[in-house]
Amino acid sequence: MILTPKMTARLIAVVLLAVILQLSFFSQVALFHTSPDVLPAVVVSLGLLGGTMTGAVSGFAIGFLLDCLLVQPLGGGSLVLLTTGYLAGMFRERFEIHSPLVPPLLCMVLTLFAELGFGALALMLGIDSAVSTLVVRDTLIKSIFAFFLGWPIYLGLRRLLRPALVEEPVRPRAGRRPSVLGA
Amino acid sequence: MYRKQVRRRRAVLALLVVGSFVLLTITYGQGSDGVQRGVSTIFSPVQSVADRALKPARDLVNWFDKTFDARGKESRLQGELEVARKQAVGVKAALAENAELRKLVQLDRSGAIPSGYQPATGRVIARSPSIWFADVTIDVGSGDGAKVGDPVVNGDGLVGTVAAVTSGSSQVALIADNSSAVSAKVLPAGVQGVVKPNVGDPGDLILDFIDSAKHVHRSQAVVTSGWRGEEIDSGFPPNIPIGEVSRAPLEEQEAQQQVHVRPYADLRNLDLVQVLTGGWRE
Repeated sequence: MILTPKMTARLIAVVLLAVILQLSFFSQVALFHTSPDVLPAVVVSLGLLGGTMTGAVSGFAIGFLLDCLLVQPLGGGSLVLLTTGYLAGMFRERFEIHSPLVPPLLCMVLTLFAELGFGALALMLGIDSAVSTLVVRDTLIKSIFAFFLGWPIYLGLRRLLRPALVEEPVRPRAGRRPSVLGA
Repeated sequence: MYRKQVRRRRAVLALLVVGSFVLLTITYGQGSDGVQRGVSTIFSPVQSVADRALKPARDLVNWFDKTFDARGKESRLQGELEVARKQAVGVKAALAENAELRKLVQLDRSGAIPSGYQPATGRVIARSPSIWFADVTIDVGSGDGAKVGDPVVNGDGLVGTVAAVTSGSSQVALIADNSSAVSAKVLPAGVQGVVKPNVGDPGDLILDFIDSAKHVHRSQAVVTSGWRGEEIDSGFPPNIPIGEVSRAPLEEQEAQQQVHVRPYADLRNLDLVQVLTGGWRE
């Protein structure tokens, strides 16, 4: 990813918008008693589009902002999401994305990883209460939501960041044919 | 050139990982309050606007969830309605007696808010995406009189307690949060205990440390005990409804000294809440 000041501003806007939308919308809606968590999907998409560094830095920034706004232990969200972004970026740097199913599948798998990471971190930092088995159901449903939300998020971000993408040639619009002067 | 790039990448990654651990260390050294308060102060107006703007879309999505849920509940509620009708007669008599007693002791006629407390009404503007932390942000802050430790209620009962405050917003740790513990008693038995969360299931709380010699039964109400000692007191005023006993197997009461409580407040779908400011700690 070629980072110009304009692209950096777009990335910052994406990070801020994602966190605000998550806290004000997605966390407050429930489907099957579970709220979707789009932040890992956003981090995965950024990692897939920009590589390890973009994924890790945006993951760290989103995690830090989340922890600040929710007055949770600082650093926990950053650690989990920067790892998520880094893994997505590593996938992009080592493998070709041939199938359109790869981004949503990766969003699903890495959301599962992030949710397990949040859980492991919460347990390591100490929980003095019983833990319900519904945590497992919540984690799995969140991953399934990530599969369905991952694709539009990936497409939207790819469109937004297209000028900065190295291996993303601009395709001519469908229906517009090349014309030759005088033909 | 390539090696230099790889080295730089590794350095940035190491810096971020070390940064995360430093932040965690600072948090547990109680030194991150200022940063979090600063960021919250900047973002709370934006969150408030976003919350209001997105409310119709949120209500639409939640409508689908509630419709699916209501179908399953209908038959159970029919049965409960029969029981409730029979109980209503007794309740009416008790209400009349209660009204007389309130006049005698000159208590607040509504009885919803204990005397000495001033409610500050607010709206939930943000919510934690992680099930491990049951926190919400509300648009009531220190400017409205909210302080850390103030109880938070809604029309159904106790919701949680204020965990952090900025000038325009507060962080509320819900009673389903892993840090929550509320001293409570069962009515009418008077059995005392501590209501703790069952992390991951906001619809199921645990009333722990109860006296195993006294038996608690299903459907009994659980309210805050609001005890006061010379040096220490409960953070909650007495008799705020928390929930009702949903499961009380005898073996669990005797072996583990606990029963399960279903909170009256729907902790998954909170909108308007009240912070009880003032009170006996003032």
